[in-house]
Amino acid sequence: MIEIKDLHKSYGDKHAVRGISFKVEKGEVLGFLGPNGAGKSTTMNIISGYLSMTSGSVIINGHDILDEPEEAKKCIGYLPELPPLYLDMTVLEYLTFVCDLKKVPKDQRKVQLAKILSMVKITDVADRLIGNLSKGYKQRVGIAQALVGDPEILILDEPTVGLDPNQILEIRKLISKLAKTKTIIISSHILSEIQAMCDRVVIINHGKVAAIDTITDLSARLTGNSKLLLCFKGAIKDVINSLRTIPGVSSISERVTNESGIHEIEIIVDYSAGGDVRANIFYNMAKNGWPILEFRSLDPTLEEVFLSITSA
Amino acid sequence: MTAVFKREFLSYFRSPVGYVALALFSFLSGFQFINMISKGYISISSEIVSLSSFFIIIVPIITMGLLSEDKRRGTEILFYTTPVNLFDVVFGKFLAAFALFAIMFVNVIIHMIITLCCKGKVDAGVVGATLVFFFVAALYISIGLFASSITDSQIVSAIISFVILLVISLLTTISQFAQSGVASFLGATFCKFDPAKAQSAGEKVAAALRWFNPLDKTQDFRYGIFSVFPLVFCLSFALVFIYLTFRKLDKKRWSQK
Repeated sequence: MIEIKDLHKSYGDKHAVRGISFKVEKGEVLGFLGPNGAGKSTTMNIISGYLSMTSGSVIINGHDILDEPEEAKKCIGYLPELPPLYLDMTVLEYLTFVCDLKKVPKDQRKVQLAKILSMVKITDVADRLIGNLSKGYKQRVGIAQALVGDPEILILDEPTVGLDPNQILEIRKLISKLAKTKTIIISSHILSEIQAMCDRVVIINHGKVAAIDTITDLSARLTGNSKLLLCFKGAIKDVINSLRTIPGVSSISERVTNESGIHEIEIIVDYSAGGDVRANIFYNMAKNGWPILEFRSLDPTLEEVFLSITSA
Repeated sequence: MTAVFKREFLSYFRSPVGYVALALFSFLSGFQFINMISKGYISISSEIVSLSSFFIIIVPIITMGLLSEDKRRGTEILFYTTPVNLFDVVFGKFLAAFALFAIMFVNVIIHMIITLCCKGKVDAGVVGATLVFFFVAALYISIGLFASSITDSQIVSAIISFVILLVISLLTTISQFAQSGVASFLGATFCKFDPAKAQSAGEKVAAALRWFNPLDKTQDFRYGIFSVFPLVFCLSFALVFIYLTFRKLDKKRWSQK
């Protein structure tokens, strides 16, 4: 669907993108992560055809963005970092203008615009000037603009910036709904958002691809074995000694000890040794009469993965 | 093209720019007309010609925001990421500014009607002056459009187009300076013993500079004496600047820097 090969982009002396390559399959939702200045927006601008690349190629649906720009651009709806809005037009006038630019046939316009307006929930502000709308509404008009023309591919550069938590949830729902029929690339700073919406993640750092994988594989790759957190009441030394005897537990360390005798320990488990040890830990604690207050997995979140990859 | 034309033309009237330009033009033309009436002699063709000399102020006002605003606000992204042709965008914007001039000309038409009611005549000179009005306007607008494409600030764009238009309207004076300058420079250096040669070289430089002056070329139109060349001159230079503007926008898609 989208194929990016060895993309380079320099601004004068600054080499912003240094050889990014990846593929996006049809129907996939790809998260695009990276610290500020990593080259996220530049890469998205190049994929959408706004900026030229210094070298490399972008192929969209089989059309090269430089050789067949019109064909390639027909497949893309793009929401840039700053939504391209004319503040002196009303929402409806603006979307009609975008319909003209995207060459949407006149007879389909009304139906399509009504559908988009209700989808991003801006029907009630359709006749207001864009300049008078709040930031959240402007962002939604920007999303609406990307949806005009029913493109197969959506490229959204930080789509939930400036929205309140309710609106973020709505946009997230909208994107999940769109993901059923479209291919989507989303960049965001909010990692939980990427985790909630995306199938795969590309992490870029200093203009290069630092990691590209599914989220679960990324976490597993970071830690060979799994960590568990256990919080209990009881004599800490006895507990540790008793737990050490369980096969599969490779090491235990103490994290916090509370004055009222509540302890928190971290257990590193080697799953390859023999199945799931969690049940055994539970029975062991129960047999000895040590009440478990909390017991959960400590697998790294995307946040930790992101930090460890980008700071390396 | 029609989409961009429509948006740009309407946006003149969503902001003060269109009204300011129209008011300014109405004031200038009305002032001239009243002035002529008070002297008891009305010449619509000389009214039109003298209005053309105010183009150097009106054109920068009208063209300064055409492309620079898109750049500053980031709306130019729409033109690059949708299947619209960039040349259509540039030409649509040019037509929007040109249409505003056509509306300004309604003032002059009203004056013509008043003249006709007073048993005056609209002769070939008026037709000639009208032709000059629109062809020179097209040329100047294309220059303003180009100035607007090279910067993202309206003020800078206005200043650039104002300076270019000022130089064009002063070409006759500039050519006189160039003539005496070149003649005296050559007379003192390369052609020390042949002052006639130095003089003729100076004249040639001056003639070459004058060749670029559209106002000089169209001087006889107001007397009803037409020729095709000045019109072709204005039109072809207008197309050159429109094309340069298109290349300036298109460069962003191609340039490797």
